[in-house]
Amino acid sequence: MEFPIQIEGEKGYIRVTSDLDTETAGEALRSAFNEVYDQGKRTIVLDLSGAQIINSYGIGKVLMCYKRLKAENGVLMVKPLDGFVKETFELLMLDKLLPVDES
Amino acid sequence: MSVSVHPPNILLVDGNEQSRQTFGSFFKGRGWSYDIVPDRTSLAGALERGTYDIIIADVEMAGPETVKTLREIHEKRPSQAIIAVSPTSSYEDALQLFRSGATDLLARPIDFSWLERVIQQVASSRRKDARDKASYRHVTREEMDLCFTSADLADLDSVSLPLVSRLVDEGMLSQNEGLKLRLAVQEAVLNGLEHGNLELDSKWKEEIATDGADRFSSMRKARLADPEYASRRVTVRLSFSDFRLEVVVKDQGGGFLNGRGGPESGRIDSLSCSGRGLALMSSAVDEVRFGSNGSEVTMIKWLDASKNKEAYGS
Repeated sequence: MEFPIQIEGEKGYIRVTSDLDTETAGEALRSAFNEVYDQGKRTIVLDLSGAQIINSYGIGKVLMCYKRLKAENGVLMVKPLDGFVKETFELLMLDKLLPVDES
Repeated sequence: MSVSVHPPNILLVDGNEQSRQTFGSFFKGRGWSYDIVPDRTSLAGALERGTYDIIIADVEMAGPETVKTLREIHEKRPSQAIIAVSPTSSYEDALQLFRSGATDLLARPIDFSWLERVIQQVASSRRKDARDKASYRHVTREEMDLCFTSADLADLDSVSLPLVSRLVDEGMLSQNEGLKLRLAVQEAVLNGLEHGNLELDSKWKEEIATDGADRFSSMRKARLADPEYASRRVTVRLSFSDFRLEVVVKDQGGGFLNGRGGPESGRIDSLSCSGRGLALMSSAVDEVRFGSNGSEVTMIKWLDASKNKEAYGS
């Protein structure tokens, strides 16, 4: 499983194309993140519109991305969320942590 | 041995007088119960007055808005069997009709022997559903046991809980509540397998190497290769009784309350890479409690009794 990435200016985008509730999906996110990170991008946007479900495993992977960026004054953003993923982010207060990329 | 069954109950909407008479003779000749209406307005009226095993709708002769009406019926009654009669057989038209809720298509000229087979199949299936629902109505206690090993860690997302699915189907839990419950059980099993059986400390998730890999993942890999840890099991018992759904998840580790890092306090800490499983579990049920030093977690969800009344009219 691979998540497509895209570079636009100073931002790197990762499009999550499956639910984030398995080891395989978590590893796909880590791999895509490393690819963008290694290109020097420190503002990375996650598009989670392809995920209907996220569990603690997926959240843990998202936060690992967040921490790696924060350690270098970078920022992890998310595209506008909806459905169960949005509900989960709000429950865990991640919506306060990760700014929304409206572009 | 003879079996007494109710005849199929059919509603036909067809704008053509001659066609209505042909269908009527066909239904009557087989002893089926039926109503026939000429247009979508009278179709809506008939559906307000009663329910039918099967709706047969001529989408052309009953007027251009008939497809829209079928879609509305499907949204209100997703399990309603609808046979659409259409003069065309193009892929696009068929796709539109199926998307509008049609469960079968019938082209003109009508093949009545084929129609009879379809109606008998639908009627038989609906009788079976009615029997299943009637028998489930009297279930006051039901239990099921599941067992997981470390080998299941790779695809815990496919955990199936038939008991929860049935409660959703019966309208006693919403789809969202069912999804949350399934994920809560998944979280509890994951906790049992990783923190319980593999004795992995959640604090290791915070120890991240330069390549992005964390100590938790590397220790997890090592212990999955060690039979002493990997052969341990997690059992799940679901029981439903008197509107109370109880899920007990038990692992074979020493228990995180003995000092190993488990789901901790369950407080929500946005920055921590762990501790959210318990928060997700807590949001899905009314009560979460731990026993046996943390190697056993019990989740309790009270079902809304009024939903049961709505579902069964009792």
